Amino acid sequence: MSDHEPVIGIDLGTTNSVVATVRDGVPRVIPSRGGQSLTPSVVAVARNGKRLVGVLAKRQAITNAEHTVFAAKRLIGRRWASKEIEDARRVLPYALVPGPERNDVRVEIGGRAYAIPEISAMVLAELKADAEAWFGRPVNRAVITVPAYFNDGQRHATKDAGRIAGLDVLRIINEPTSAALAYGFGKQIERKVVVFDLGGGTFDISVLDIGKSVYDVVAVGGDTYLGGEDFDRRVMDWLTFAFAKENAGIDLREDKMSLQRLKDAAEKAKVELSGTTSASIHLPFLVGGGEGKGALHLDKQLSREKLEELTKDLVDRCVAVTEKVLRDAGVRPNQVGEVILVGGMTRMPRVQRAVKEFFGREPCRGVHPEEVVALGAAIQAHALAAPEKGGSEVLLLDVTPQNLGIMVVGGYFQTIIPRNTTVPTGETHLFTTVQDNQASVRIAVLQGDGEMAVDNELLGEFILDGIRPARRGEVEIEVAFDISADGIVGVSARDVATGQQQSITVTATSGLTEDELRRILDEQIDDLLEKKQTAGQFEQRREKALSTVAEIEALRPAVQEALARTHFGKDAVQKAESVLARVQQALDGRDAAALAVEEESLERTLQLFKGLAGARAPGER
Amino acid sequence: MSVDRYKGFVFNPADLSEDVELELERRKQILHAEAGLATASHWEVLGLPWNAPVEAVKSSYLEAVKVFHPDRYCGKRLGSYRARLEKVFRRLTEARDVLSDEARRAAYARQSAPATEFTKLEVRRLEDERRTAERRARLARGNPLVARASQVAELVARGKEAFQAGRFGQATNDFLLAAGMDPGNAETAALAAEARKRAAAQKGADQYDKGSAAEAMGSLGAALAAYRAALEADPRHVRAAAAGSRVALALGDLSGARELANAAVRAAPGMGLAHEALGLVLEAQGEKKEARRVLERALELDPRLEGARERLKKLRWGILG
Repeated sequence: MSDHEPVIGIDLGTTNSVVATVRDGVPRVIPSRGGQSLTPSVVAVARNGKRLVGVLAKRQAITNAEHTVFAAKRLIGRRWASKEIEDARRVLPYALVPGPERNDVRVEIGGRAYAIPEISAMVLAELKADAEAWFGRPVNRAVITVPAYFNDGQRHATKDAGRIAGLDVLRIINEPTSAALAYGFGKQIERKVVVFDLGGGTFDISVLDIGKSVYDVVAVGGDTYLGGEDFDRRVMDWLTFAFAKENAGIDLREDKMSLQRLKDAAEKAKVELSGTTSASIHLPFLVGGGEGKGALHLDKQLSREKLEELTKDLVDRCVAVTEKVLRDAGVRPNQVGEVILVGGMTRMPRVQRAVKEFFGREPCRGVHPEEVVALGAAIQAHALAAPEKGGSEVLLLDVTPQNLGIMVVGGYFQTIIPRNTTVPTGETHLFTTVQDNQASVRIAVLQGDGEMAVDNELLGEFILDGIRPARRGEVEIEVAFDISADGIVGVSARDVATGQQQSITVTATSGLTEDELRRILDEQIDDLLEKKQTAGQFEQRREKALSTVAEIEALRPAVQEALARTHFGKDAVQKAESVLARVQQALDGRDAAALAVEEESLERTLQLFKGLAGARAPGER
Repeated sequence: MSVDRYKGFVFNPADLSEDVELELERRKQILHAEAGLATASHWEVLGLPWNAPVEAVKSSYLEAVKVFHPDRYCGKRLGSYRARLEKVFRRLTEARDVLSDEARRAAYARQSAPATEFTKLEVRRLEDERRTAERRARLARGNPLVARASQVAELVARGKEAFQAGRFGQATNDFLLAAGMDPGNAETAALAAEARKRAAAQKGADQYDKGSAAEAMGSLGAALAAYRAALEADPRHVRAAAAGSRVALALGDLSGARELANAAVRAAPGMGLAHEALGLVLEAQGEKKEARRVLERALELDPRLEGARERLKKLRWGILG
């Protein structure tokens, strides 16, 4: 086992991300260098130009909202012109700009435009670094999870993000599937399992048939616009209307700062109501009261019943989607052997009740909803990297999440490989020309459920020419689709009579061109070199940090004595303690970058201690 | 596994020696499986006998995909074997999909059945169809309208059957009942009339046989009654009328004999038999001239009537003498 290079599984979430691995045959979550199992999927550029990722970025989000990117997952692989981006531009505090060819989205923070995969890559790189610190050796290979309903473009963009982060992405797998892998790991299970995954941004549902350690995905489905944030928004709307009514029509949504506070408070209240029946929302000094008046406060009480009433239709939508997916799978609710709940939203009692009513059984509570996805990804990574070793016999049979096909005459969409087909798979269809002496045909490869081509996602297109002149309908063109085990779609078209052939491998839809990707990867190498240099400087920094710490420790007795006589400064000491702890961690992890971040606060602590100690004995200085 | 697992199978040395990261045994397994795809049935692809149950199909599929899913060799150099694996895997999946779907499986089982199994299957299918028809009929009886129609159909069918078997009385009853329940149906009415005619003829024949038996045994009264009954059932039964007339004559019932003889002539004016009977009665009644004329007519129609000839000779002589 130990002679294998370690592999990891990453749950790249909308709000939080988790990294896990399989060690000694047991899947386990890798804690961050800060000791946390969840890393916020937040990236920021601080005022001093420093890039911040994870906890550090989240901590400064309120004061630096315009340069802090969260929920990048909602943007990844989307087109600039899409409805989602239009909506996002209205609500997100950071600036979105179109990419160079106006077909993807960039975010502008710290005076630079970043592609979304670059942002996600920073989160991935952070997790990679956490894993490397934990293993004490380089980690290069990973499995990353995405929502089951991600289309090909979104998957490719996620894969690109992995590449930018310096990871060889073994596979992109679906989050619900991943959860099922973690659920079934190490057990002898022969049953049908439904994974009900209601996360922050999306709702996914999957039906799997598990037997002999083979995880056969029967059907997947979901709703990309249904998640915890929609529940939050209902609470926010309720608060805003109530506030406007009580305060002469003041619209809280006009102020970005108060909107952000409102959002946090709504989420907090919602989470609280999973455990209690009533939550109070208290936001003092929320907004200015206008000319010469004091600031206004918000003080409301939200009961669980009210929350359930506000979000009833959202829960109903979940049930309706579940019903449809089960029908697709040809499975009746009572044939399901287990229901696994994934995602923070499934903690809501009303959601659990709806699931229980629909399936007529208690859902499984044996899995940790926030960690289970990453654990499953780790299991799949392990199975792919070392299939024969370690007795891990796990095999995942995945399906195509959406219909794949081409555009036919009249702008219609002709499905060639229907959704929920087990991959790898292939299918051919015969088409004919529609005009006399037609010399070429344009093959537009699409993915989606729409009847019309325009309602679906365009994956790529190519032209088959050199067709022999003939009357319409006389030339037969064979279009072949091919999906490999890792989900790569290949399409070819052939003139049956002449053998003339054209084909493409569908790839370039993440918005990043191959050139751009290369440029970013080059920059990444520069960054890496820089890091090496900083690693060279590590010793130097260590020396300096150690001497500062020693100075602080020397002052500690004096400081404590000083504080014993006064009420002030207790929290200052606590802060100092946590700074010292972080420095120690950076030293242990030989993390030059983290050490550099802490240098400033360490210096400030020293000054503080000197000041406190000096107050007692000014003569000493 | 045993050494001669691939007995009779010739491996292409070029394929076997391709530079890939797979063990030799695994390569053989893959090449052998791929070569078999073209001819094997879905059952055979999964290594199962024909018509193996769904559970076996699923189980074999799971075992097989552990060998033939490309993920088992992720990150390895596979060369041409990648395509081979995918090809085998697709076929395995197709076999599983077909054989675990109730309807598709049944159709495929019939189509792929070995000859002996096929016959059994056909027999069972026919049996099933018959049962279905019966069941449908039984269900139909529940509904009064449908029940009536089906009852009529049933009666007609039964009537026809009886008709075929020569049980005309039974057939007549059935047809008449059917016609009564479905008065507008001309066909049923025609069938009923025909059957009734045949039934009458049959009854007549029966009674005639009874009569002639009684006559032979010398019980003339019974014979006469039987002949009368035959005539009543079938007024066109000439022989019954003639025989009745003869018996009545023997019993000395001249008027009865005359009546029966007349009936015989009415039934078949062209039959010598009838005229002979009338002639004999006339002679007994003393109308010799008339008797001679009738008997001559009888002989004219049928020269083989020995009784008439004898009687006529005597009459001629009598008139002369």
